[in-house]
Amino acid sequence: MNTAIGAGLELRQLCREVGGRRLLDRLDLAVAPGECLALLGPSGCGKSTTLRLVAGLDPASAGQVLLDGQDLGALSPGERQVAMVFQSYALYPHLSVEGNLELGLKVRGVAGAERQRRLGAVLEMLQLEELRQRRPAQLSGGQRQRVALARALLRQPRIMLLDEPMSNLDAQLREELRPELRRLLCGREQPVIYVTHDQQEAVGMADRIALLDAGRLQQVGSPRELYADPANRFVACFLGRPAINLLAIAPGRQLGLRPEHLHLAEDGPLAARLLRREWWGHQQLLWLDSRWGPLRVLCDPEVTLPTEPRLGWQRQHELWFDPLSGARLHGQGPVW
Amino acid sequence: MRLLVLLWSLGPLLWQLRTSLLRPEALVAPLLEGNPWTLANYQLVLSGDPPFWRYLGNSTLVALATTLLTLLLAVPCAYGLQQQRGLLRWGVGLGLVGAAMFPTVLLFLALLEIARRFGLANDLLALSLPYAGLSLPLAVLLLRAAFADLPVELEDAARLEGLDLGQRLRHVLLPLLGPALASTGILVFLASWNEYAIALTWISRNDLLTLPIAIARIGGGSVFTIPYGAFAAATVLGSLPLLLLVLVAQRPIVSGLTRGAVKG
Repeated sequence: MNTAIGAGLELRQLCREVGGRRLLDRLDLAVAPGECLALLGPSGCGKSTTLRLVAGLDPASAGQVLLDGQDLGALSPGERQVAMVFQSYALYPHLSVEGNLELGLKVRGVAGAERQRRLGAVLEMLQLEELRQRRPAQLSGGQRQRVALARALLRQPRIMLLDEPMSNLDAQLREELRPELRRLLCGREQPVIYVTHDQQEAVGMADRIALLDAGRLQQVGSPRELYADPANRFVACFLGRPAINLLAIAPGRQLGLRPEHLHLAEDGPLAARLLRREWWGHQQLLWLDSRWGPLRVLCDPEVTLPTEPRLGWQRQHELWFDPLSGARLHGQGPVW
Repeated sequence: MRLLVLLWSLGPLLWQLRTSLLRPEALVAPLLEGNPWTLANYQLVLSGDPPFWRYLGNSTLVALATTLLTLLLAVPCAYGLQQQRGLLRWGVGLGLVGAAMFPTVLLFLALLEIARRFGLANDLLALSLPYAGLSLPLAVLLLRAAFADLPVELEDAARLEGLDLGQRLRHVLLPLLGPALASTGILVFLASWNEYAIALTWISRNDLLTLPIAIARIGGGSVFTIPYGAFAAATVLGSLPLLLLVLVAQRPIVSGLTRGAVKG
């Protein structure tokens, strides 16, 4: 039998296959106690699949889920002591807020007085006391999310899973709630996995990001690592807004340059033609055309443009890729 | 427009009520003299032996037992079917549709044989066995569709909180299925209430007859008179419990119809 020494959550060669389709392909991941890991990727990349496997809601085709060295494979979802916040929040529509929170405790046999104490504490922490008699249908999106969080916290979970908990909220509320959510969830003992397709949210919430595409892990690391040192073209394109420029400079080599790393330079090696400008207040985005393809450049909002702008960049910011496989090519590019 | 629909559905009922209150002579031609209205039809029906209420009770007992038995069996079947994927669910579903459409006429002889062999004749509770069997396919199909409409995450959330299957059904799924259970129950109740042929062959004792059989046995003054008025009076009395039932069950059904519509 395999025994792991490390504390926290560990996924080993985890696979999920349905009807001959690989939803998740040999995923290896480790999440330390108290760490918040964001699972990031486009829809259908396998992030929600991963969560369901960890929760035990779906069976794994192969591989293991280990918590503090213990294999969870044989345990039912209820026995795993996992809490999950669903995208839809999955509140029981026929029960009040109080009823939603109490049901699990009652079923697990927590005595009345103890139940009231824990319920009161969580209601207070999430400022839900005044809403305890309301039905989910009578709550706003943000309030429903708080109830779902409260239910997850009451579970006193050994693993906390969040499946796009913000995607039903409007953009402004999402930004406001992020620090709140981080304060509530992270830095406790349990590992946290936060699934999202929004890179801003991933960067804002997580200590580390694991980027998935088509069921495969592309790269895992701190936001800074993924941004500065992407493992392949997919990672480079997915992280960073506006997206990275890809220039087909030479056969067999593709140059990636982020819009924020290009600057206007009279003697720059790249001649371009201005198509359009977007003014963002603190910055402006230039849409340019060049002989190697379209370009996006971020620059100072007040800068005036020559009719035939030339662009330059620093060699350290060059990212080289294989144009066919998208693999990262290390080493120097051609000399200009 | 609404009035038209109302008339369309209420019309036959009102006509029946009118027929039950008219003197037999007034049915065929307008009376030249005297009051055409009478309660004699009701007196005739209620003065029979055994009393009419007895038949009403018999039918209620059979229908209640049938409904209870059907729902008790259909809920686990529907849940289990909904958990299956692909070909199995499709195949069993198709089989159920086939069973629901199977002509009951072809079953009489076999059912009669069963009744004789197992001594089930003249037993009201035993009568609910074939009734439940006949209602079951449709009930399973209806309830499966209702289970399919519940968001999967609700049950997932309950599983994560440690609720076992029985607790999930009791605390989460069945309360949400209330409207579907009520409407399915009414359908089953009605089918059993109206059933004629099986009751005719299984029940022979006079005091155990169900309503449709009892009504059919109401006789006229002679072989050549058909007591329309008495028939009408008996059907009016016989549909009163149904009206009551629908009134009681209406609230959960309507609230179920609108629950999903309200979104915050």
